[in-house]
Amino acid sequence: MKSLGTVSRRAGALVLSVSLAALAAACGSTGSGSGSSSSTSSSSSNSITVAVAYPAPPKALLAQFTKETGIKVTWVNIGWDDLQTKIAAAASANTYFADAADVDWSKVGEYQRTGWFYPLNKYFDVASLKSDMPQLQTFISNNDLMGMPFDSSFLVTTVNTKDFAKAGITTMPTTLAGFTAALKKVGTANGMASPLDIHFATAEGLSTCWYQMTAAFGGQVLTAQDAPAFTSPSSPGYQAMAWMVNAYKSGLVPKANINESDYQGFTTEMARNRVAAEMCDYSGSVASIYNVPSTSSVVNDTEYIPTPGATGLGGNVANPDGIGIPKTAKNVAGAVKFIKWFTNTENQATWAGLQGSNNVVSTFPLPARLSSFNLMIKAGNIAQASQLANILNAHAKAPFPNGAPPWYVQFSAAVQTNIHEAAAGQETIQQAVSAIASQVNQLKSSG
Amino acid sequence: MLPYLLLSPLIVFIGALSFVPTADTTVEAFFRVMPLDPPNRFIGLGNFRALFADPAITTSWVNTAAYVVIGVTASVVLGTAIAVALKQRFRLRGVVLALVILPWALPAVVEAVIWSWIYNPTFGVMNSALHSVHLIGGYHVWLGLSRWLTILLIEIVQVWQITPLSALIILAALQSIPTDLYEAARVDGAGPIQAFRRISLPLIRPALAVCAVEALVLSLNIFDQVYILNGIAPLGSSVMLQTYVTTFENLNFGGGYALSLLVTLATAVLSMGMLALLYRRTEAA
Repeated sequence: MKSLGTVSRRAGALVLSVSLAALAAACGSTGSGSGSSSSTSSSSSNSITVAVAYPAPPKALLAQFTKETGIKVTWVNIGWDDLQTKIAAAASANTYFADAADVDWSKVGEYQRTGWFYPLNKYFDVASLKSDMPQLQTFISNNDLMGMPFDSSFLVTTVNTKDFAKAGITTMPTTLAGFTAALKKVGTANGMASPLDIHFATAEGLSTCWYQMTAAFGGQVLTAQDAPAFTSPSSPGYQAMAWMVNAYKSGLVPKANINESDYQGFTTEMARNRVAAEMCDYSGSVASIYNVPSTSSVVNDTEYIPTPGATGLGGNVANPDGIGIPKTAKNVAGAVKFIKWFTNTENQATWAGLQGSNNVVSTFPLPARLSSFNLMIKAGNIAQASQLANILNAHAKAPFPNGAPPWYVQFSAAVQTNIHEAAAGQETIQQAVSAIASQVNQLKSSG
Repeated sequence: MLPYLLLSPLIVFIGALSFVPTADTTVEAFFRVMPLDPPNRFIGLGNFRALFADPAITTSWVNTAAYVVIGVTASVVLGTAIAVALKQRFRLRGVVLALVILPWALPAVVEAVIWSWIYNPTFGVMNSALHSVHLIGGYHVWLGLSRWLTILLIEIVQVWQITPLSALIILAALQSIPTDLYEAARVDGAGPIQAFRRISLPLIRPALAVCAVEALVLSLNIFDQVYILNGIAPLGSSVMLQTYVTTFENLNFGGGYALSLLVTLATAVLSMGMLALLYRRTEAA
């Protein structure tokens, strides 16, 4: 019994010490996490983690960056929505998760307000970049550059010219009324019940599509003071919402779109010729999706057209992706070098296919720099490169005059849910508009 | 002393990963925690008052109640029916048993994606099957247009996932009932339905209680299926989805803490209530 008691005590002491060690480890890890916000450890000085909702550049090119700078890159491709949650959770908990991370245009105001990302002004010459990067302004809030655009995605209208020609339409309409009438003819001529794709699920795509349609009607949804600019029935925002909801209710848009939140689902519809037009398509889809023979039955049949508007050609909304440096980054200097490399003129053109398909970044839409476009136009290997460069330079505008407000996420949630409910017949356009305006006013008043 | 020492790693583990976050959440629920409006400050019941005044939250509670009622009822009834069927001896019983378990083994996200294809209005098998037997005239949009239909269809996905476990628990309880009880009942002239009502049902009551509580907890906390099949649309929103929206979409961490605390309390109270109502210690021998 005595020896058993000794064993028990020893076992107990061992278990207790393991438990305490585990507790200490747990506390220790929390502590180091908290304390890692600005330190640059020696182990991390030659490596960085990049977390974006994007596939990695080719390994050979990343290896070349490592050779040039001595910085090893760990690329983490996370789904967009998951990444936003991760950024918010990591920033709130003050823990490290990446040295460079996705800065979506819609998060710029939020990150500036919360201080979750470093302003990049001291690392980049904002004034000189503006002429080469038309969408740079989208990433500036209160004069702080919160992220560097690394592509120049913007929303465009894409049509299947073959389907339109079958309906006798060879000159594309320049007004939305004309475009609506043309779509009805296209549907009849091609046996398509619903020839137009527009997002209607409660997802970010529905919000951005409303901004795009508002631009098509010649306006923006918020004023320069971030007040609602869509409450009057004659305002572009109101008219855009009414046009969208009417397009859904009249059957111009597939009924299934009320729950289709996946962008790939829309492009598949177009690529398989189940629809003949996309109103809020991403620039780059023709080259990267519709003209890919293995997955598309409309190769060489689709093209971007100038956006039809209320009385003439309408505008396009910029929808670029950016990259920035979280406040909890361990290797800020390395992240800056990487961002400069990732967004330079030659590499931007390379990601878009300048050096052939082996060096492209999969799903990369278009370069952020006009100088990269010029390289591509000169090479002549990107579909409608000059047309897109023209839209980008002259027509693609930031969705909001003052950048995305800090409360953009709540605003977008209100936009999505109310337009979705209006399309589903659960509320009227007026009710949807009032609900969104009420949310904006409440958000503004609460700071 | 030794048992407590041996249990201490588990206590430390559960304490660090469960009790500490719960305590932290409880405290933070009384603070305004908004990264867009620092610093954090004590606001008493402010978060709770805001939650009760928010119509989206109220809707999500009502929706969640519907998820719970459908989930508990359907999974217990179906689980019992499957267990009774599987208690019989028939060829390929083992294969059927393995197939029945399969939905339980799949992650909820995977199941929701599978069912999103089934419900797809353009090329989903549901439209195709119903149309082929002339039950519907044309293809329908199943989700997102009608509140109660959306809730029913989403909960079907969860019932599909949780019923197998209920069936297994009830099957185990059924198999533990001595056969001489049924033989005695048969001698006394009882038919199969009477035997089930008078013998099986009372004796499997504890198993039914466990299954009901399991279904209650899972349907009260339904998230994956709602998010994948219905997004953040208020129409079929659950209270867990609203917790996510409040915390990570609206960046109102204090509100999120308060709502998750309410969900925890609701889960604990309802689970204990259901156990007290249904659970009876039984002894067949």
